[in-house]
Amino acid sequence: MPKVDPITLAVVWGGLQAVSQEMGVVLKRTAYSEAVREGEDFSTAIFDADGRLIAQGDFSPGHLGSMPFAVKRIAQEFPPETLSPGDAIIQNDPQIGSGHLPDFFAFYPVFYNDVLVGWTVNCAHQSDIGGAGLGSQVIEKVSDFYQEGLRILPLKIFEKGKPIDSVFRMIAGNVRLPDKVLGDLKAQLNACRVGGTRFQALLELYGLETVRACTEEILQRSEEAIRAAIRQIPDGTYHFVDYLDDSGRDTDPIKLDVTVTVADDEIVVDFTGSSPQRECGMNSYYNYTYAYVIACVRSMTDPSIPHNEGCTRPLKLVIPEGSFFNAQPPAACGGRHVTCNRIFEATLGAIAQAIPQKAFAGTGHMANPIIGGTHPKTGKKFFLYDLLMGSVGARSTKDGIEAVASPWNARNIPVEVQESNSPILVECFEFVTDSAGPGKYRGGMAMRKDVRVFSEDAKLFNMGERQKFAPYGLFGGKPGQLGISILNPGSEQRILHSKGIYSLEYGDCLRTQTPSSGGYGDPLERDSQAVLNDVIKGYVSVEGAKRDYGVVIDSSTLTVLEDETKELRNILRTKTL
Amino acid sequence: MSFRLGFDIGGTFTDFVIQNEKTGEVWLGKTLTTPKDPSIGVMNGLHALLAENGVDGSQIVQAVHATTLATNVVIERKGERIALLTTKGFRDILEFQRQKRYDLYDFYADKPVPLVPRHWILEVEERMAADGSVVRPLDEEQVRDLVRQLTARNVNSIAVSLLHSYRNPDHERRIEQIIKEESPQLPVSISSDVSPVIREYERTNTTVVNAYTMPAVREYLRRITAGLNEKGYFGHLYVMQSNGGIATSETVQKYPARIIESGPAAGALGAAHFGKIAGYTNLISFDMGGTTAKICLVEDSKPGMTNQFEIDRLQLKAGSGLVINVPAVDLIEIGAGGGSIAKVQMGMIAIGPESAGADPGPACYDIGGTDPTITDANLVLGYLNPDYFLGGKMKLNKEAAIKAIDERVANPLGLSVTQAAWGIHEIVTTNMARATRVVSIERGRDPRLFTLVAFGGAGPIHGARLARTIGVPRVIYPAGAGVASAIGLLVADVTFDLARTFIARIDENAIGPMKHIYGELEATALAMLEESKIKGQYTLVRSADMQYVGQGHEITVTLPPLTFTDADVVAIRKAFNDTYEGLYGYSDPGEAIMVVNWKLTASCATPKVASRNLQKIGNVEDALKGVRKAYFQETADYVDCRIYDRYKLFPGATLQGPAVIEERETAIIVLPGDVARMDEFDNIIVEVAVKEEIANA
Repeated sequence: MPKVDPITLAVVWGGLQAVSQEMGVVLKRTAYSEAVREGEDFSTAIFDADGRLIAQGDFSPGHLGSMPFAVKRIAQEFPPETLSPGDAIIQNDPQIGSGHLPDFFAFYPVFYNDVLVGWTVNCAHQSDIGGAGLGSQVIEKVSDFYQEGLRILPLKIFEKGKPIDSVFRMIAGNVRLPDKVLGDLKAQLNACRVGGTRFQALLELYGLETVRACTEEILQRSEEAIRAAIRQIPDGTYHFVDYLDDSGRDTDPIKLDVTVTVADDEIVVDFTGSSPQRECGMNSYYNYTYAYVIACVRSMTDPSIPHNEGCTRPLKLVIPEGSFFNAQPPAACGGRHVTCNRIFEATLGAIAQAIPQKAFAGTGHMANPIIGGTHPKTGKKFFLYDLLMGSVGARSTKDGIEAVASPWNARNIPVEVQESNSPILVECFEFVTDSAGPGKYRGGMAMRKDVRVFSEDAKLFNMGERQKFAPYGLFGGKPGQLGISILNPGSEQRILHSKGIYSLEYGDCLRTQTPSSGGYGDPLERDSQAVLNDVIKGYVSVEGAKRDYGVVIDSSTLTVLEDETKELRNILRTKTL
Repeated sequence: MSFRLGFDIGGTFTDFVIQNEKTGEVWLGKTLTTPKDPSIGVMNGLHALLAENGVDGSQIVQAVHATTLATNVVIERKGERIALLTTKGFRDILEFQRQKRYDLYDFYADKPVPLVPRHWILEVEERMAADGSVVRPLDEEQVRDLVRQLTARNVNSIAVSLLHSYRNPDHERRIEQIIKEESPQLPVSISSDVSPVIREYERTNTTVVNAYTMPAVREYLRRITAGLNEKGYFGHLYVMQSNGGIATSETVQKYPARIIESGPAAGALGAAHFGKIAGYTNLISFDMGGTTAKICLVEDSKPGMTNQFEIDRLQLKAGSGLVINVPAVDLIEIGAGGGSIAKVQMGMIAIGPESAGADPGPACYDIGGTDPTITDANLVLGYLNPDYFLGGKMKLNKEAAIKAIDERVANPLGLSVTQAAWGIHEIVTTNMARATRVVSIERGRDPRLFTLVAFGGAGPIHGARLARTIGVPRVIYPAGAGVASAIGLLVADVTFDLARTFIARIDENAIGPMKHIYGELEATALAMLEESKIKGQYTLVRSADMQYVGQGHEITVTLPPLTFTDADVVAIRKAFNDTYEGLYGYSDPGEAIMVVNWKLTASCATPKVASRNLQKIGNVEDALKGVRKAYFQETADYVDCRIYDRYKLFPGATLQGPAVIEERETAIIVLPGDVARMDEFDNIIVEVAVKEEIANA
């Protein structure tokens, strides 16, 4: 293998990353579903012929972390002699892929001079794949994945550039929203093809040998960089326990028991002691758990290193088979993304003890309620896939980030787009005063969204978390507030379960309030001016400033009363001692 | 005698161009920008230029201006006491944004800070539905009360953005009236006027940017106008908009968000002009300055356009900026300029986006900078003349450049200083090549069919190498490469882009509404053209943002000539499918198609005169300044390289690479194997010996 000079290496590396990003642009701009085109619930990456991840686009960690496993499996099932230029393969098996049926993977083998040189791959969350309920992510009362929809083991959907129509037809006949599903699927396949063409152009320019040599270098250097970053973490064993609320009405919490062992330049994350898998649609398959563990390790080491297989080598993940986080087929899993924040956060909670300066507190968990029914004006089915993306918890040097995806990385869907497509009226979408987890640095605010639904037969498939166990604070920071789902807020209101399925009456209003995120450090140490700024903005009330931060503010002049604040903080400090 | 005036305020310099309307003759001027009050620099420079050339202000028939003022107001968050009125329940749209993190693993990376803080955002009792019907009527008394509160707080400017106002603007218009009643002088921006398109965050943010920049832009343009009046010019002041069209100062004061990309648009337009007079219409405009490089595709002499862009990106990362819906020249900006810093990351050379700027500047400026920059590498490679930087106004210290490169790059990587300097030059060039591919190859354009137009302080140094890397066979270096953007101002037409959201399937039922919408848009456009007081040929071009039914992202399609009969359906469908196929590689002709936004571009073309240099005789050797060692990849070493004075070259002069052609603000590097000649418009045109050299590297 030729030795690569640092210049060519930089050029090729950049080129490979550009291929992944461009695949993403094409997919987003040609997609049909709100989830993919507005929410960007998809991911793209490029692999070498050995199935090793070389470069990925900045998309969803759950897809990205699972992809390497999926590609290795595809490479095994489809050895080079069974493949031709212009072939494309799809699959949505939860164990092979990213842990639930709606995630469709498309794989495109890339040839150069008749030799298989790699794969362009993407994964997109399809709107529906059949099964127990619209959107195919029902959590309650599903016992295995056969009840969750159409499961496609890896098979060819294109052969030598020609679509295999029977496959498309088979899919169309098994999903509730065939237009959106087939539209997105075509967009996925075309994005793969475009990526493949770009990959080939790179090979034309630099030659196969050089690109291969670059790939080896890239993987090796990334591995070295990650190992160097892990070496910065003090050796030791760090333990963290947290609980998922439940897996539906009248069910028990699910234990997350994580032990992180750092030894020199290796890191072992062990989920032994966590709850076993259950009959519910939110079990996490190994790939999916792995995806959010590696995302956490990446963010706690050196986030600037481009991600590829090299970055994954120093990590070992241990989860007993049959664990909730290493579920065995045919465990049901449609709503498994309700575990993603929590897998990430439990790992983070352990590593945080070792490197507090890089840590951040528990995140404002996302909510993902789905409402479907008949549109009274068109008589057609509508599908409201909502995403409220939460917030990042407080950090060691600054407040948390308001209203941002964490760690799942997707976009919200504009209210104007939602109201144009579904018979709903969004009555508010706003922050909740005094919600953020207090701390020297405070967490992000909770968000509230009220959606009134005008359909005779609408159903809500609710999805939320952190409605019983609050997002944790760190190093003296207070936890965030719990999330809540309410039907028809007001005197007649009814609290809904975070994972329940409900029939809605015409005109019912669903309030979804996300949890806020946790604080970092003692709130009594928070700069009183920062508290005042929050009061001026309406994030914190005058009473809240006093109660949560010990800061006394004159509400008429909006100034901090320094002496009284000092006194109050002293009293509060002795109280907590 | 009558003259036209163009002036472009950049970060470091303000450039002037005066053109004789009859002969096309051009005079150039340059003065230091006065950042605190740019109008001071403008008046100083203008005064000098007019005096120097014996022109009186009263002889100027048209003044055209490009400015970074609006951008700076946003980037530096200079706006104060700007308020937003929004629909009750939606106070936090600006803070929510679209919620995706632009950096997958970095949870310490922050979001863009909204321009209006929450305590300046007030909620209005009202609500429109998606179909434009009124859900809750506007509470006018409440609005009046809010406006009074705001005026009591000395508000400087108000933005109004209500849900679904793109569909029904009544409430926004009524609020505007109430504000006018309460405080007639107060600047107001309403979203249904500034950006009547769907998606609340982007529309609101655009309206806020408009409101935010309005007070500063108003005051600034009024001062410039007063200054011009003092010089005896009483005509309209025109300002370059982001879309490459000019508008009167009065229009721009209403829509300042439209001038955010004023300078870069002028550059792209200048490139289109220089290409055209040299006989080339398909171009890649390449403007490389001190901190960034801007690259834009020009087809059929028209710069590519986009409907949306980000302002104030963090480290130029995609997704980290404030999104605004403003038609703009579609350019890619990357952190690659003369001042971009080279460093070692993971055993490789990495460049930018950090820039040494003008202070502390590149190491070779010798004013405190210790980081190696692109300029340092170019000096070490022999491309820059240490004694003729800015025409000799500034000495460059080569030893300091060598030291910086050695310490920060060569030594850590075990490379020689020459290898490291070459590496820096090569990597920044390939970074730009990648950006160029995004605007060319990735959009299905073959760079071999394009000509590069290289300008800006660093553009001519990298132009030929960039051309080789991407396979472009020809590079044009315009006369006055440093003031090319200012020249772009004189070739701009008055242009307005109008858009209206009305979602309709393309079938027979669409014809009626389409006719109605274009009737209104065309009336508005003609009124705006009349108001701009320009004589010339009016052109109206219809286009539409379209998609397959069920998709969410539109592509802009130029509409075929419309007859407003059912025959239009087939023609519009075909135009969409063809454009889609060109962009994404496939189309679905059987699928239903819909329009989201109906658009109209209205322009008024004025005749342009190019200045010809008829002096065709001379001796190239007379332009030879000397010989200097310079490094080229082709020769793998330093070789003797002839240095020419651009100002002594003449039309028809031809010379062979390797060579350096020096001018005051930059230097053109002619690579070994390439041939340079000067054309009759004083442009230098280099034919590039394209080969796949990288593969053998």
